[in-house]
Amino acid sequence: MTSESYQDWKDIVHRCFRCGYCKFTHTYSDFNCPSYKKYRFETYSTGGRMWLIYGLINNDLKWSQNLANVLYACSTCGNCTENCRFEKFNDFLVDIIEAARAEAVKSGFCPENQKFLLERTKDPNNFNPYGEKNSDNINLKTKYNLPEKAEWVYYIGCTSNYRQQDLRDATLRLLKKIGIDFTLIDEHCCTSPLIRTGQIDIVSDFMNYNINQINNTGASKVITSCAGCYRTLKKDYEKLGADLGFEVLHTGELIKTLLDEGKIKITSNYEKIVTYHDPCHLGRHMDMYEIPRDIIQSIPGIKFIEMKRNRNNAWCCGAGGGVKIGYPDWALEISKERLEEAKETGATVLTSMCPFCKTNLADANKEFNMGFEIIDLIELIDQLEIEVNE
Amino acid sequence: MNKEVIIKDLEEIVGKDFASNTAEDLFMYSQDPGASEPRPVDFVVMPRSVEEIQKIVKLANREKIPLIPMGGGLTLSGLVIPIKGGIVVDLKRMDQILEINELSRYALIEPGVSTGKLISYLNELYPDLQPAIPDAPPSATVVGNALIHGSGYLSQKYGNHGDMINGIEVVLPNGEICKLGSCSISDYWFSRGPIPDLVGLFISSFGTMGIITKLSYKLYPKPKMRDVVFGMCRDPNNIPNLVYKITYTDLAEDLLLSKTDKPDYVKDLILVMVFITGDSEEELESKRKMIKRLYRKNGAQFMNMPERTLKGLLQKPQFAAAAADFRKGGGFEYVGSFMPLEMIPEASKRAAEISYKYDIIPTQAIRIIGKGHCVMFAPTFAFNRADPLDRKNARDALDETNKLVLELGGIPWKSEFEGQKLIVEKMDPNYKNLLKTIRNILDPNGIMNPGNWEVS
Ligand SMILES: Cc1cc2nc3c(=O)[nH]c(=O)nc-3n(C[C@H](O)[C@H](O)[C@H](O)COP(=O)(O)OP(=O)(O)OC[C@H]3O[C@@H](n4cnc5c(N)ncnc54)[C@H](O)[C@@H]3O)c2cc1C
Ligand code: SF4
Ligand code: SF4
Repeated sequence: MTSESYQDWKDIVHRCFRCGYCKFTHTYSDFNCPSYKKYRFETYSTGGRMWLIYGLINNDLKWSQNLANVLYACSTCGNCTENCRFEKFNDFLVDIIEAARAEAVKSGFCPENQKFLLERTKDPNNFNPYGEKNSDNINLKTKYNLPEKAEWVYYIGCTSNYRQQDLRDATLRLLKKIGIDFTLIDEHCCTSPLIRTGQIDIVSDFMNYNINQINNTGASKVITSCAGCYRTLKKDYEKLGADLGFEVLHTGELIKTLLDEGKIKITSNYEKIVTYHDPCHLGRHMDMYEIPRDIIQSIPGIKFIEMKRNRNNAWCCGAGGGVKIGYPDWALEISKERLEEAKETGATVLTSMCPFCKTNLADANKEFNMGFEIIDLIELIDQLEIEVNE
Repeated sequence: MNKEVIIKDLEEIVGKDFASNTAEDLFMYSQDPGASEPRPVDFVVMPRSVEEIQKIVKLANREKIPLIPMGGGLTLSGLVIPIKGGIVVDLKRMDQILEINELSRYALIEPGVSTGKLISYLNELYPDLQPAIPDAPPSATVVGNALIHGSGYLSQKYGNHGDMINGIEVVLPNGEICKLGSCSISDYWFSRGPIPDLVGLFISSFGTMGIITKLSYKLYPKPKMRDVVFGMCRDPNNIPNLVYKITYTDLAEDLLLSKTDKPDYVKDLILVMVFITGDSEEELESKRKMIKRLYRKNGAQFMNMPERTLKGLLQKPQFAAAAADFRKGGGFEYVGSFMPLEMIPEASKRAAEISYKYDIIPTQAIRIIGKGHCVMFAPTFAFNRADPLDRKNARDALDETNKLVLELGGIPWKSEFEGQKLIVEKMDPNYKNLLKTIRNILDPNGIMNPGNWEVS
């Protein structure tokens, strides 16, 4: 995403009719745009944002902090792209919002909380938005006896490496268990949080750094357990013109392929009632809906029940697009609604395939005392016995 | 007007999060998706309860500031853009379905219930019942639509949506709550009468008589199956008789006609769509046969349509907003007009001439209402929002079409205030006086959506 693209949208942004299809679920049963559902002024609907952006482009409106805040009160969940009916326009709604955020940053109206993301990530001690000291992953490489060169790179991602280490460790164990020839790199943030929040200055540098690191290992495939990293590596890097030279996969894709090819088989029982939350960045952003479900169905003994809103109709967890850092209480409220929906299924386990969703859902689970076991699907599988066939 | 005092008071009434006069909120509420020019708004407020509305009305009387009630804001004709500034009262937070009476077939709802919500709620919980909804986007409110006397897929069978109101609760311009219909006497919101029917005062009055806070809306049985029998008619003069014959039979749920001059091969054709319903395939098949026979005998011809077209037409609501993309510019507006059936051929021809004059491809939708007692004749003018000239062309075309409609004995529907002026000019003087007297009594400070239906 370049800042110029903001002006590029000029030719299509006015195609928004402000009809409001984007506010709803598929059946109109409820509002499915978290932002509109909370704020309720038309301004906070996707159409509202499109009209504000057109107003800015047209000089009918001037930048202000209030206006920028409206643009940032959006979890980039992509429900609007699913439900807006205008073809060759609907695909770009989130891109337009992100491009407008980049313009807000340029004009000096980036909200204070969002600025931390860039400051921390830029810091040469960190290279991650959590402000943690950068892990070069040498210790992990040693612990898991990983080579310098390998067929695969496991790109851990900042959330798994600094907040959801259980998922990181489960992924590492699982990859080892199933005999994947992989290694790790000294990662910089994939820049997903920066792209989503319009703070794009360092994105190219970080992208090039990561690509170089990966290429240095000779790997032809990169795997990640993070929906945000997956979208960024696979989609944003390509949009930014990168020639990757390697394939990007989500861990789910690898597991599913191995299951299908009979190379692995889950042999122990999991006798719990489970429901699955579709991460926006894996689902609506990348169209990956069936793979996690197929994996779940391959687990003996599991009872899987869908939530009412699922797949491309899913309710967002509320963490994405800078909402978790910008509006921490609201992010929890959004997750609470998801947990309440999960409760209706009778499930005791809520699984997903994104460490950021897991963080927010788990935070809400604790805050509102909802009593779920919240676990990433990779962690869940890691608990089970797996038969590996050569 | 002391704006600081007013915003503080509004915040006190509805809470800080739901009253605003920020530049971006005012920008948003100063315009709608139609062709009207933006007009200034002073405040936007989103109440959650009847009591809050009462307080807002009292504040407006104190400050002599206009109130503009708003549902979905989708009439396209600028009806929720203030004409004389003021407070837009966006009612969409009051969105509860309060009661479904299955046996007496009505829904008691708050003013912010969207058509999408009601239809989805019934589909899930009362699959044998259906509400009449327009083909407006699902964010339109049921109440806003009923209050403008809208029409939709059940109108051929059951009439205009204003006629489907069993009763209302309204906050009057003096802040008092009043119930109208059977609900003023009984716990059941099942009927408008048998008492003097004052509900009509609030229909098509565009928020000038008060703010409706509850409305009982009729529901109808929902047949299991639905289909469309397509026909085409080359001679528009055959249309009135064809419609007369079809409506005589009781076969049609909905009866739509459409005309467009693009692509070229449909030019000079009128497409006829008879929606049929039934509980079995045999029932549908026998209706199909009868409609086809009616086409043959009355100057029309049956035609097949691709599955995709059929699927689109069977949606509730239909995606009529597609017209906004005709010029890839996010805008269209139409003159909905109530017309006598016999005037359709001439109206269609002359409205097409107006379209050509303004460089717009003629596109007309016609919906038969109540067995042909009335026809909703809707020439549509798409425009590119980003092109001021295109937008002005649409406004000029709308104005000329309003005049045409009045000349032919019809009445523009949900008209912009310019169109309302044309209607008032033609109105019987005693009707005007009565309207003015009633308004002055109800609303001596003139706070309710002033500029609409103004009688000088
Ligand atoms: C694509 C498209 C297709 C359409 N197709 C149809 C169609 O098939 N049939 C049809 O009938 N209409 C149609 N419309 C017109 C219009 O959108 C609908 O009639 C719509 O339902 C109006 O409802 P609303 O909630 O948007 O009303 P609003 O625009 O919000 O309000 C309409 C009027 O009612 C007043 N009002 C609203 N709520 C209250 C209240 N609680 N108390 C007092 N006054 C109130 C407002 O002040 C305004 O004057 C269409 C519109 C579009 C954009
Ligand atoms: S984004 Fe699409 S669905 Fe939403 S208001 Fe605009 S045109 Fe309508
Ligand atoms: S991305 Fe999600 S939160 Fe943002 S405007 Fe679209 S639907 Fe709303």
